[in-house]
Amino acid sequence: MSDTLLIIEDNEQNYYLMNFLLEKNGFTVIGARNGRHGIQMALTHKPKAILLDIQLPEMDGYAVATELKKHHETEGIPIIAVTSYAMVGDRERILAFGATGYIEKPIDPGTFVEEIRRYF
Amino acid sequence: MKISVNNTLIHKPQEHVIEIRRRGSKNRERPPLGIGVQFRFLLTPIVLLISLFLGIPPASSDNRTVTVGVYENAPKIFMSESGKPAGIFIDIIEHIAKSEGWHLHYVPGTWTEGLDRLAKGEIDLMPDVANTAARAEIYFFHKEPVLSSWFQVYARKGSGIRSILDLAGKRISVLDRSVQQEAFAQLAAGFGLSVTLISVPDYKNIFELVARQEADAAITNRFYGVVHAQKHGLEDTKVIFHPTLLFFAASKSTLQQLLDTIDNRLLKMKSDPESVYYASLKRWVSEEVRFKLPGWVETLSWVVGVILLMSIGGSVFLKRQVNARTRELRQINQEMEQRIVQRTAELAAAMEKAQAADRIKSAFLATMSHELRTPLNSIIGFTGIMLQGLAGPLNPEQHKQMSMVQGSARHLLALINDVLDISKIEAGQLTLSITSFELKPSIEKVAKQVLPLAEKKGLHLKVDLADDIGTATTDQRRLEQVILNLLSNAVKFTEKGRVGISCHLDNGQYCLSVSDTGIGIQPDHVQEIFQPFHQIDTGLTRKYEGTGLGLSICKKILEMMGGTVEVESRWGQGSTFTIRFPIHSGAVS
Repeated sequence: MSDTLLIIEDNEQNYYLMNFLLEKNGFTVIGARNGRHGIQMALTHKPKAILLDIQLPEMDGYAVATELKKHHETEGIPIIAVTSYAMVGDRERILAFGATGYIEKPIDPGTFVEEIRRYF
Repeated sequence: MKISVNNTLIHKPQEHVIEIRRRGSKNRERPPLGIGVQFRFLLTPIVLLISLFLGIPPASSDNRTVTVGVYENAPKIFMSESGKPAGIFIDIIEHIAKSEGWHLHYVPGTWTEGLDRLAKGEIDLMPDVANTAARAEIYFFHKEPVLSSWFQVYARKGSGIRSILDLAGKRISVLDRSVQQEAFAQLAAGFGLSVTLISVPDYKNIFELVARQEADAAITNRFYGVVHAQKHGLEDTKVIFHPTLLFFAASKSTLQQLLDTIDNRLLKMKSDPESVYYASLKRWVSEEVRFKLPGWVETLSWVVGVILLMSIGGSVFLKRQVNARTRELRQINQEMEQRIVQRTAELAAAMEKAQAADRIKSAFLATMSHELRTPLNSIIGFTGIMLQGLAGPLNPEQHKQMSMVQGSARHLLALINDVLDISKIEAGQLTLSITSFELKPSIEKVAKQVLPLAEKKGLHLKVDLADDIGTATTDQRRLEQVILNLLSNAVKFTEKGRVGISCHLDNGQYCLSVSDTGIGIQPDHVQEIFQPFHQIDTGLTRKYEGTGLGLSICKKILEMMGGTVEVESRWGQGSTFTIRFPIHSGAVS
C-alpha cells in the first residue's frame, strides 16, 4: 500500500492547504475536483486514504461514499470526511454512509496531519 | 220530644219511612225497600178490608171529587208561577187520583186558612200535616206517612247561632199553629230560654222577616229550608229538633175508604224505586238544592284561577322569549363557528408560512455558516502554516502580523459558531451526544486553553478540583463549550487579580464555579445576561468583543443536560458563575 492520499475537494484554496500540509509531512497527494473524477482516481490509484468534502458539485460526498463502498477495489479504503457542514446529524450521517472519520473545517494546521494519521 | 244539637240527629226514622237528605251527601242511599214489621201488621187488615169489599165496585171506578187545600210550603206543596198547584204532595195525590179516577179540586189559601177549612169540612184533604193528639181529634189521618221531616233553625249568615242556647233573647219567626211552634215553645221552656216568637200565617214571608232583620231566626221544616234559605241569604244553623211524620189530613166527613186508598197507593209507590213517589222526591228536593260553597272557596278559586291564567300567560311569554333567545344564540353560534373555521384556516396558513419561514431561516443560517467557514478554513490554515514556519521563516514583524490575522480569524470563527449554535437551538436541532468521560482532565484541558490569554493579561488562574470528581456521562464537547465560555468571559472581563475555576460533587450533581475579580455585572442586568444578544443590546461590544450569545447558549445546553446556571456578582468587584449538572445526563448515545 502506497502513501498516496486522495483529496476530493472543489475549493482550490482548501485543496491547496491540505495538499501543502500533507506533502510537507511526506505524503503523496493526488486530487480530484468533483465526485465522479474522484471515484475514477480511487479505482485507478487505490490510495491509502481518501479525504472527502461533502458539498461537491453534481455528485455530493454522500453519493461518492456510497459508490466507493460498492467497488471491492475501494471498499476497504478509509474515507475521512472533511467538511464545513456542522448542523445536527451531519457527522452521524456521513459516518452512516461509510466514512471512517470526520474533521470539521476550518482545519487546525497544527493538528490536522496527526488527526488524519489516526484513521489509517 | 227529641232535640238535636250540633248536627246530631237523634231521631231515627222508622225503617219504611223515607228520609230526605241533601243530594250528594254521603248518606245518599235508597230508602229500605224491604217490607218492615209494622208494614206487615198494616198489610194484614188492608188485605182483609179488600177481601171484605170485594163485592163493592173498585175505587178506580169511583168518580168522586176530592177537594185539596193548597198553601205555600215548597217543595212539599205550593202554587207554581203558572198558578198551578205543585210539590211532592201534589204529585202523589195527583197520581193516586189518576189511578183511582178521582177529580181533584184545589183550594188555595194560607196554612191556617187551610186548617180551618178542613176543620169545617170545606175541603177533603190538607197536605203535609203532622199527626198530633190535638189534631187527631179534629181531623182524620191515614196511617202510612208520606214523608218524615224535622225542624231546623235558619239565621242570617254569620249570626253565630250554633246551639239552642244561642237563641236566648232572639226574635224567632215561626209558622202559626204549626207543630214546630208548639214544639219549639216547649223546647225553649225546657232550656229556660226567653225568646220572642213571631208567628206568621205562611212560610211565604218567614225568611224575608229574618233577611230584613225583623227577626233573628226562623224555624221551618228541612224541606222548605233546604230549598229557600239560601235565596234569602240565610244559612242553616246546627239547631235541629222534633222529627215529624207528615200525612194528608182529612176532614171528619171524609170516608175512611179514601184514607185507606191513600195508604194502599203509598205502600205500592214506596216499594217501587221507579215510582212517581221517588221521582217526585228527586225532582223537588234535588232540583232546587244548591251546594253552598264557603266564601273562601270561591275567593280561593278566583285567586287560583287568576294565578293559573297569569302563570300560563307568563309561561307562554317566557317560552316565546326563550325561543327568540335560542334562535339568537343559534345564529350567534353559527356565526362563531364560521368565524372559528375561517380563523383556523387563517392560522393554519400563517403557521405554515411561519414554519416555512423558520425552515428557510435555519437553512439560511446553516448555509451562511458553511459558506463563511470555507474561506475561513484557508485563512486560518495558511496563517497557521506560515506561523509554524512550514512555508519558510518569518521575521518578528511578519510573525506578529500573522498572529493578528490568526486571532481575528479565530474570533470570526467563534462568532460564526455561536450564530450556528443559536440557530440550531431555535430550530430545535441541538441534540446532545452523550458519552462517559473523566471530568477532571476535561476541565484541565479547557483551563489550559485560556491560560495563555490569562497569563498575557497578568491574571492568576487558579484551578481547584476536588478529589471526588470522577466520570461524567453527558455531552463532553458541549460541556467543554460551556466551561470555555465561562472561563473566556472571566478572563475577558477581568483586568487584574485572578480567575478561578473549582469543581466538586454536591448531592449527586457536579457543581462547577468560575469566579473572577473583574468588572462585575450591574444588579439590574443580572437577569438579562442569559438572554440572547444581550451584550449587543447593552452596547458593550465596543470594549469587549463577543456576540452576546455565549451565556444564552450555555443556559440552553445546561437545561438540556438537566442542569442550571446561576450568577452572583458585585459591580466593580467581580462575578461568580456556578453551574450544576447531573453526573448522568441521560443514556449514552
